[in-house]
Amino acid sequence: MRVLVLRCPDLLADEEPGEGSAQAFEPVVALVEGFCPHVEVLRPGVCAIPARGPARYFGGEAELASRLSAAVSRAGHGCQVGVADGLFAAGLAARAGPGGLMVPPGKAPEFLARFPVGVLGMPELCELLPRLGIETLGQLAGLPPAEAVSRFGPPGELARRLARGLDPRPLIPRPPRADLSAALEFDPTPAQSEPVLFAAKALADQMHDRLAAGGLGCVRVRVEVRYSDGTQVSRLWRHDGLLSALAVAERVRWQLDGRSASRPGAPVPLGDDREPGGITLLRLVPDQLVRATGRQLALWGDAVVSDRVARAAIRVQAMLGHERVTRPVPAGGRRPVEQVLLVPFGDAGVPQRPADRPWPGQIPVPSPATVYPAPRSASVTDSVGAVVSVGGRAGLSAAPAQLSVEGDRPRLVTAWAGPWPVTERWWDPPQACRQARFQLVTDDGHAWLAALQDGHWQIEARYD
Amino acid sequence: MRHRDDVLAGDGMLPVLPALRDLLPGGGLQRGSVVTSGDFGLLSMVLVAGAVANGAWCAVVGVPAVGMRAAAEAGVDPDRVLLVAEPGPRWPQVVAALLDGFDVVLLRPPDQPSAQLRRKLEAAARRYGSVLVVAGDWPGAHSRLLVAYAEWTGIGAGHGRLRARRAQVVATGRGAGEQARSAWLWLPGTDGAVTAAVGGLAASAADGHGPDLARLASSG
Repeated sequence: MRVLVLRCPDLLADEEPGEGSAQAFEPVVALVEGFCPHVEVLRPGVCAIPARGPARYFGGEAELASRLSAAVSRAGHGCQVGVADGLFAAGLAARAGPGGLMVPPGKAPEFLARFPVGVLGMPELCELLPRLGIETLGQLAGLPPAEAVSRFGPPGELARRLARGLDPRPLIPRPPRADLSAALEFDPTPAQSEPVLFAAKALADQMHDRLAAGGLGCVRVRVEVRYSDGTQVSRLWRHDGLLSALAVAERVRWQLDGRSASRPGAPVPLGDDREPGGITLLRLVPDQLVRATGRQLALWGDAVVSDRVARAAIRVQAMLGHERVTRPVPAGGRRPVEQVLLVPFGDAGVPQRPADRPWPGQIPVPSPATVYPAPRSASVTDSVGAVVSVGGRAGLSAAPAQLSVEGDRPRLVTAWAGPWPVTERWWDPPQACRQARFQLVTDDGHAWLAALQDGHWQIEARYD
Repeated sequence: MRHRDDVLAGDGMLPVLPALRDLLPGGGLQRGSVVTSGDFGLLSMVLVAGAVANGAWCAVVGVPAVGMRAAAEAGVDPDRVLLVAEPGPRWPQVVAALLDGFDVVLLRPPDQPSAQLRRKLEAAARRYGSVLVVAGDWPGAHSRLLVAYAEWTGIGAGHGRLRARRAQVVATGRGAGEQARSAWLWLPGTDGAVTAAVGGLAASAADGHGPDLARLASSG
């Protein structure tokens, strides 16, 4: 069976299903579904489709692959496409070469032969085989079948089948998504919010029934409200299968309440005919379907968050928007601003750079109590008023004598330390950073973390 | 699930770090009260550290530049903190909603609240049994703390680094007859923790380059 594997290297997650990457991969899966409705998501970042049908439709496997990668690239993701006999070979073909590889029909065993046995992903076997002198899949495929089974047991037989380009199982595409959303149109538009909320509860019941019928749960629910003036407000709410119909209705209420708060520009006076009287449509859409396993996620890192705390946080999210209510997650980095990641409440956040690494060159303890999200421009001058500069070998032009932050009145520097040169990520120009850091104490009792970068002084943090 | 009444039951008092006990009437943060900390700084976060360490939840409103790492070093568990950096023009509603649910709300008001607004928020704190810690001015606060003196140690003219800050924190109460209290603290100490600083003023004299003592002209 011909299988096409599509791989987005920038969206890959570890075997552990990470919520963020699954979410990011979802649009790509939807794109692929446009080519073929039978998509199996192998893990976030990798999905597979049976290639024969779509290839015939689009005029060949190469044509199908190039159209797919063009579509995914347009969506802003890197993409590798591999086509081969069987899922295993196609997966390896996607990883071979920058854009993936087409393995012609019948050539899978030859293609696989040169790979080391490590690619099988069977740790015990992969350790054992090389010790017996079997280092490539080609050698493994050459073993007599009876020997493979008697020596290595069922895993040996499975490995041998894979090595020969035979698939252990067919693709299991996810079912084409049935519409699980629940919607209600209002005509005439209700004058008060109560009928809307009443309807919301009924809709939530309906949606829960449909999910339950499919053995599914949803991570989040999207509440879409359309108004008579044509505007549509939609917002995602954390669900995790934990919300009752009443709780969903409550979130709808918060969303309606929040609309007047979150509207930029002219404040909407209460009793305005557009809120909430002008509602024409209410729709609840389950987002990110998962198998209903009854799992519970802690909303708040590892700490068990109490109902009252969660409710207060979610209420404020309804007023300000999901992203503006955050919890701090320690992250790794050398600059104070990198050491905390702000994650919207209700989302799982895993810092890209873990905090529990040594991070040599980070600012020593005690840390500054005020860390500016964006550095403030400053000027540091010496006793004759010339800007202090640092040479290529971290030599200082003169001792800092005055500090002026964003054009403020200059403060006298009473003590200072530095320069501490930092060169970060020079291999990645957009993120590269080269600076000389200083700690400055000024005569008003404050202490500052200053940095000289590209000839400009900036204040990154204040100790106070 | 934990209910917050289980977390910190007792005499209506949220605990504070041992070093701050003598500064506050009753030795803690009275539920339903308002406490000010002067302009936002480490002291503001330190005020809530003891409560958070004992299981309280804290929301920080209006402080985009909060240094969570410094707060964590002083004992504030980031897992129990919620940040609302930009509460927007309807910040009083945001604060009122947070007071119902969080044990402590640390607020830097984006603008000067009117007396009527202040009374509303004070009433909300009383109703929900929360504590409002204000980084800024709040006439009618039950206690006002502020850093009166501060000196950094460990840093000289081109050598050393910031190691610790000795600070004198002065607390005044609302009652007319109430005495001002004061305490010397390491704010922070060399490991970022906040402890009582005992001993004379000569702490920074060791390197001979101690910064000038600065009297912070701060009203609060």
